[in-house]
Amino acid sequence: MLSPILLGQAVVNGISLSAIYILVALGFTLLFGIMRVVNFAHGAFAMLGGYALYYVYGRWGVPYLIAAPLSALGVALAALVLERLVYRWFYQKMFQSMIGLLGLEMAIVFTAVIIWDPHERSVPAALAGIVEVGGIIVPTDKLVIVGVAAVALAAFYLFTKFSKYGLAMRAAAQDVEIAAAQGIDTTRIYQLAFVIAIFMAALAGGFYAQTYALSPLMGERPLMMAFIVVILGGMGSIPGVALGGIILGFAESFLGTFYGGSVAVFASFGAVILLLIFRPWGLLGTPET
Amino acid sequence: MTDASLSPLALAPRAGGRPLAIAAAVVAVLALVPLVIADKFILSLGSTVFITAIAAASLHLIIRTGHISLGHAAFMGIGAYASVLTVMELGLPFAAGVLAAFVAPCLLALAIGPLVLRLTGKYFVLVTFLFGEIVRMVFVEWKSVTGGANGIFGIPAPAPVFNDPAAYYYLSLGAGVLLVGFIARLLASEVGRAIDAVRESERLAHCSGIPVLRLKVTIFALGCGIVGIAGALQGHFIRYVDPTSYSVVQSLNLVVVNVIGGMQTLVGPLVGTLFYLILPEMLRGYVELQRIIFGIILIIVMAFLPGGLVELGGRALQLVRRRAGS
Amino acid sequence: MTALLSVTSLHRQFGGLTAVRDLSFDVAEGEILGVIGPNGAGKTTAINLVSGVIPPTSGRVEFRGEDVTGLPPHRLVGRGIVRTFQSTTVYGDRTVRENGMRGAYLGLYPGFFATLFDTAHARRMRAEATAVVDELLDWLGLTEVAEDKAGSLPYGHQKTLGMIIALASRPRLIMLDEPVAGLGGGDADHVRDTIKRVRGRGITVIVIDHNMRFMSGLCDRVLVMHQGARLAVGTPQQVLADPAVIEAYLGKRHAALAGH
Repeated sequence: MLSPILLGQAVVNGISLSAIYILVALGFTLLFGIMRVVNFAHGAFAMLGGYALYYVYGRWGVPYLIAAPLSALGVALAALVLERLVYRWFYQKMFQSMIGLLGLEMAIVFTAVIIWDPHERSVPAALAGIVEVGGIIVPTDKLVIVGVAAVALAAFYLFTKFSKYGLAMRAAAQDVEIAAAQGIDTTRIYQLAFVIAIFMAALAGGFYAQTYALSPLMGERPLMMAFIVVILGGMGSIPGVALGGIILGFAESFLGTFYGGSVAVFASFGAVILLLIFRPWGLLGTPET
Repeated sequence: MTDASLSPLALAPRAGGRPLAIAAAVVAVLALVPLVIADKFILSLGSTVFITAIAAASLHLIIRTGHISLGHAAFMGIGAYASVLTVMELGLPFAAGVLAAFVAPCLLALAIGPLVLRLTGKYFVLVTFLFGEIVRMVFVEWKSVTGGANGIFGIPAPAPVFNDPAAYYYLSLGAGVLLVGFIARLLASEVGRAIDAVRESERLAHCSGIPVLRLKVTIFALGCGIVGIAGALQGHFIRYVDPTSYSVVQSLNLVVVNVIGGMQTLVGPLVGTLFYLILPEMLRGYVELQRIIFGIILIIVMAFLPGGLVELGGRALQLVRRRAGS
Repeated sequence: MTALLSVTSLHRQFGGLTAVRDLSFDVAEGEILGVIGPNGAGKTTAINLVSGVIPPTSGRVEFRGEDVTGLPPHRLVGRGIVRTFQSTTVYGDRTVRENGMRGAYLGLYPGFFATLFDTAHARRMRAEATAVVDELLDWLGLTEVAEDKAGSLPYGHQKTLGMIIALASRPRLIMLDEPVAGLGGGDADHVRDTIKRVRGRGITVIVIDHNMRFMSGLCDRVLVMHQGARLAVGTPQQVLADPAVIEAYLGKRHAALAGH
């Protein structure tokens, strides 16, 4: 049963799952780290990303490599309206944000149900066909997803490492009060972080819709996964997201390949609950004082 | 939960006769309804309101200790399955089913309580969120017992007489009065004083001699047991149980009821239940629109009105009084 | 004099950091013991260890001859040890009287079913608790504000109320964590008088502070802590004359203290 081919398959699968999870969770952790907002509406933006990709790529036929970032950007910019209308009331109010944004999730999802009806649709693959390397079969589609995700993550990394705004954003994620005291314009940083976070979620949502199916209710799973990744790594910790995403992606891929999907979900949920109980600040987070 | 300026409607510890008189009047009116209205639909809606009120009030009890559970429907489901299996598989009477519906979730809560109740607010929300999802998956996967995703059909009424909607109306009203009354009494007792102390300052309460963790676990277990009974009442009322009836979405609905009504007094979840079940009747046929409206209400309440509808009512009352006084 | 509280070789480590090391001291019944030392000397940790807020890594705490090491705070309150906090001393949204009643919780708790059914026993206990709280409010001059919200009181009154919450459990030993932090001179003098009156009721007091002037006018004996360990113990005069104390603690700050 433990054939090298199966093993290789699981590794490839793990990489692509990890990439999606990191994308979803990165935005989630940014919002938490900088604005202290628990974004229960994160899955809704992933869902909107899926619909955006459905139109831009699936219907209008814009080339995939342009369509994917373009549709995510469209969702992120449109979401700025919600940032002004809803999110700003919840900045630095962790507890209220949880319930309030659950409300936002509900409102967005059911608006989507009215607009697009609840039935599942599918987003066409980026590239049909498969690549075979030494017996390991990889759908080309998956490679494209991993590629785009890798570019987005690399861009994010370079941005936070070298650009002025990126550095300010990282400072704010560390300690927003100190950042404000150093003269960083927090309103601008909030908006920037918000756009980046929603962009990532929408991008991942597009991949999700391609890999599984597109429907107004599809956001629940990415949200759940974002939760788990962020809890694993430590809420608000950016390196933690990378670690958590890789752990979860590979755990799901391997457990799913060898023991079946439900075992994988049980195991990862169970592990996260145990972690929450004994080390609630996660693997790379810092405990609150 | 910082603003406690709700004195007109707050059920302070050992509140005097007036709230009791109001409650008695409300129950009396509710008891008369079936004599005046024979409409099956209204009576069934009544049963649903009472069952939801029990569930929401039991969540309120837990919320008062400072922990919002996003897995409450899971315990409701455990109660429903426990009762249904006791009656259908073991052939025992409905009373035994209700007992099982209380004991099973209670025991589970006692087992996990000491671990999860050490967590602060947001981590507790997350753990219960995941826990609720795990329980739902168990309902789906444990096919030999739970019937899997299809659930269990053909559940009998508690007794032949309860096939009559009016009889079920009285059964659920009676259960509601008993259980919500129990919760009200508990919150007004010395235990309630300790619960409020723990929520407001756990450290201070602990150092005043309140056994914080034991109290929280006890209340959590009680709340979960009570919602289990609500689950049993619901299962034998709608005649089937299935995993989606007790998913995270349902847990969320119970939270919504509490938030809309207000989380600071027991009146909150009761008002919230009414609003939550009556509004959809006014928007019948527009299910999605209801959810959107609820979503927007949640946002508004959390951003501007942490005391919910009860706070709004309290403020309006004050305003009217001031007008009348001047 | 027999010791009411006896602490032996108390030790507490946080990760690699030793916050309290090999700390031993006795407190006699009816005594006011001051615990003094610069910030970071381990004073608050020591109080947290004795009051059960955090368990010690090793060592032993005896109260009235019984081993109470590592008992949680609510159990210690039952034995007669109670403490106050530097901050969050009151329930701000509640009335002053309700604050006191919460402090009396343990003494008045009649049992789950008794309170649920409001039995005669429960009512008797409640009446007794109300009497205890009202007497304390009267004794410390807060009767007039009994129905005011605790959060609306001036800071000095909040500190007094914090003490009332603690006293309402009718303790044998009360530990006060920086009772005058953030108070002006007049208020501090008032707190000092209050502490002496508390002792006058036969309650033993341990008080933490870093203000030597305040402590020397109040305490029978002073325990000086430095880097988590006991540096000296004795009357304020003895301690102030101790070369080790002057060198390690007062040396640099002597001028500042003199001007205090």
